[in-house]
Amino acid sequence: MATAEAQCRQDLPPPGGYKRWALFGGYLAMTAGAGYLYYLNCKAVKITDLEIRSASLAIYPMLLAERDREYLKQLRRNRDEENELMRNVEGWKTGTWYGEPIYHTQDKNLLINPRFQEYYVHASYKDYTNRAHIGLLS
Amino acid sequence: MVISNDVILPTEEELTVQEVPLSGPTLKAGAFHLGKACEFENNEFILCRNELKDPRACINEGKAVTSCALNFFRKIKKGCSGEFMQYVNCLDKSSPDQIFTPCRKTQAVFDKCVKDNFDLDRPPYDYFARVHVHKTERPRPPVEAPAVYEDATPGLPPDFPRPEAKYGSRYIFMW
Repeated sequence: MATAEAQCRQDLPPPGGYKRWALFGGYLAMTAGAGYLYYLNCKAVKITDLEIRSASLAIYPMLLAERDREYLKQLRRNRDEENELMRNVEGWKTGTWYGEPIYHTQDKNLLINPRFQEYYVHASYKDYTNRAHIGLLS
Repeated sequence: MVISNDVILPTEEELTVQEVPLSGPTLKAGAFHLGKACEFENNEFILCRNELKDPRACINEGKAVTSCALNFFRKIKKGCSGEFMQYVNCLDKSSPDQIFTPCRKTQAVFDKCVKDNFDLDRPPYDYFARVHVHKTERPRPPVEAPAVYEDATPGLPPDFPRPEAKYGSRYIFMW
């Protein structure tokens, strides 16, 4: 009987039970410590993101200026191409549907940004897909 | 296309200036000092773009931005070429998305060189994400007045009698 007791001893709580304050306090201490570390980590990640965004905003005007110039050049190229392509079509006016404008009441000089497909209408299909699916390439 | 022959577009010659022929990591490496050195030009250009909402109206401001950036990078090339390229190399090869965190040492070397040679401090990390007040000579764009229609339905005069409702209101809340 004594040998069996020695061999197989059930794991039991300490006499008088576990100390409740130790369980609860241990949980609180671990959570508070983890929470603090999480806070530090969050702060570091936010600062990193903010720095990247700040740098991007600093070079944004330069990139936008370059993009604007190229965009306007391409609009002119597109218009010249359309003038040339539709020269022999009776009654065709560039930028309209046989003289029917998009807006009747707007200023004639208003720059309407063309849709993407319209902007690439005279480009090769490969260039079009390259630009349209640029998200898949990068 | 929607651009008709009545739309005035600038010619190719008006739009052709020397662009900044630099790669992404290079621009990122110089971004903070560039933004500080060309702050006035950048703000002027972005203000113009946001106020007028027309790329044709801001060509000259855009050219000023590009020439300022070119001058800045020329200056860097002259004075701090080695330090700058070291920093660019670090940014390019330390992370997939060119974050600044792994390159603080090379950044400090580059900052010190710029400070010594050009007396230009690196602005705080969130400087360009803050709101800034920009002092400008640019005239305020005209505000469009609210539309007035001649054939609009005339309203009641303001002193028209408004008697109490005959049977009270239909407001029902907890009866």
